[in-house]
Amino acid sequence: MPLLELDGVTRRYGALVALDQVAMKVEEGEVRAVIGPNGAGKTTLFNVITGTVKPSAGLIRFADQPIAGLPSHQICRLGISRTFQITALFPEMSARENARLAAQARHPRRWQPFGGARIFREAQSLADAALEQLGLTGVAERPAGLLSHGDQRLLEVAMAMAQQPRVLLLDEPTQGLSVEETAQAVDTLARFLQASRMTVLLVEHDMEVVFRLAHRITVLHRGAVIADGAPDQVKADPRVQDAYLGGFA
Amino acid sequence: MRSATRLLIWIVVALALVLAPLGLPPFAMTLLTEAVILGLFAMSLDLMFGYTRLVSFGHAAAYGFGAYACGWMLLHTGMPLLFAVFAAGLLTGFIAIGVGWMCTLATGVSFSMLTLAFAQLLYAISFKWTSVTGGSDGLAGIPRTIGPFGFAALSSKIGFYYLALGCLVGGFLVCSALVRSPFGAVLRGIRENEGKTTALGYNTRLYKIAVVAVSYGLGGLAGALYAPFAGFANTELLFWLLSGQVLIMVIVGGAGTLIGPVLGAAFFMLMEHQLSALTEAWALYFGLIFIAFVLFAPEGIWGLATTRLRRAAPRP
Repeated sequence: MPLLELDGVTRRYGALVALDQVAMKVEEGEVRAVIGPNGAGKTTLFNVITGTVKPSAGLIRFADQPIAGLPSHQICRLGISRTFQITALFPEMSARENARLAAQARHPRRWQPFGGARIFREAQSLADAALEQLGLTGVAERPAGLLSHGDQRLLEVAMAMAQQPRVLLLDEPTQGLSVEETAQAVDTLARFLQASRMTVLLVEHDMEVVFRLAHRITVLHRGAVIADGAPDQVKADPRVQDAYLGGFA
Repeated sequence: MRSATRLLIWIVVALALVLAPLGLPPFAMTLLTEAVILGLFAMSLDLMFGYTRLVSFGHAAAYGFGAYACGWMLLHTGMPLLFAVFAAGLLTGFIAIGVGWMCTLATGVSFSMLTLAFAQLLYAISFKWTSVTGGSDGLAGIPRTIGPFGFAALSSKIGFYYLALGCLVGGFLVCSALVRSPFGAVLRGIRENEGKTTALGYNTRLYKIAVVAVSYGLGGLAGALYAPFAGFANTELLFWLLSGQVLIMVIVGGAGTLIGPVLGAAFFMLMEHQLSALTEAWALYFGLIFIAFVLFAPEGIWGLATTRLRRAAPRP
């Protein structure tokens, strides 16, 4: 049984069809990349899964439970955590506090308006473990706003991991990084993914990154799935080459 | 700052406030009591402004509502002072749940405008609903009813000062527990990046409504103290000018510190008192002071004081 399943998911903005009958199945433990040219609907797909955008039609099932239309904070609490294409952190808090606040969101008494030493301690231990997984222990006390871009991207992943999600959605984790920073971040991510066996849905522009990290690739073009398969299969698919190269290849 | 130094400063301040009635002349006690009440009012706004970055342009609504509610109860129900004050504060906080619910439909400047709209609505009502509010005359001759439980001491000038001081200290303890709690950590998240806080799975709107309710409740408590302190409640307590002044107190004192806004309120009163003796255009000069703070000391009086002390103390 797939952990995350989409069927006929459609999102329209007026006449524009951002997502067109998208169907896909993500198995537990799989690292799935979603690729496609600009405007293919990759980020909309993430927004629809996490509930920040409601689908116009279609079914989304997570762990055999329909989630389409639920508010995003509820979807998040079911075990879907995401990162953003544009870095979103709490810049004045330290990396540890960032990750702690992420972990606290899963605590049953996260809203307690007094005391809370124990809640903080429990959240902090999850947070520290996640920081360690992504190699951020050395910079954990620094304000998040002062970390290098590469570390900021990894901190976002650590925050998502501190929530102990069942599925991790990574929206262009190397966006805005230099070539060297990308290489470093991808090394760390590859090591982390191998060690954690996390189920991951990954949107990425950089094909090298995709082929290095993903087990399986789904190709979106103008909102529709045009190919789905193992990396080598997808690379060789003439429709994919068409979509990317506009038929000039 | 070393904890021993800090403890010493706290003890000195606490002793000074407790023993103040022994050494100060009556008119100074009146000023000090008003400063304590305004300090509580400014501190209540700090929860929203300093800790959650919810800018209220209509905090006078809380103060004025609390004052009118307390004044009305004292005039018409014969409720004892202590009960009327706390009932008015609670009532303000309770009604603020609705206000918070409405205002948090918007964010940013629109949120601020909605808070202002609510305050102006109350201001208009206070003029028109003459049978309850007394219209443009307001409520006058508000008594400090002693009641059957023998809190007679609280209704004297000095007793009332201790009542106000107790409310300030109690309010401070509640606020500082709140901002250090898990709830407070979420507020800080909302302040720094609300979108991310939502994405982490927090229902940020509920947190904002809760903080509006607590903030207005404490602001209402301050207003409820003001009515029996001054003996009257009038429309000025609901006017936008007061909402602006309390924001200035928070910023000049140091937003996001709780203590700072209390100092800011005292500083504001002191300046108003000193400058208005010299010139009618005192607000103009205070405006210059305010601008100087924003430009050169955005961390406020408390921020300046703590960095000084930290520098003076030997590092361990």
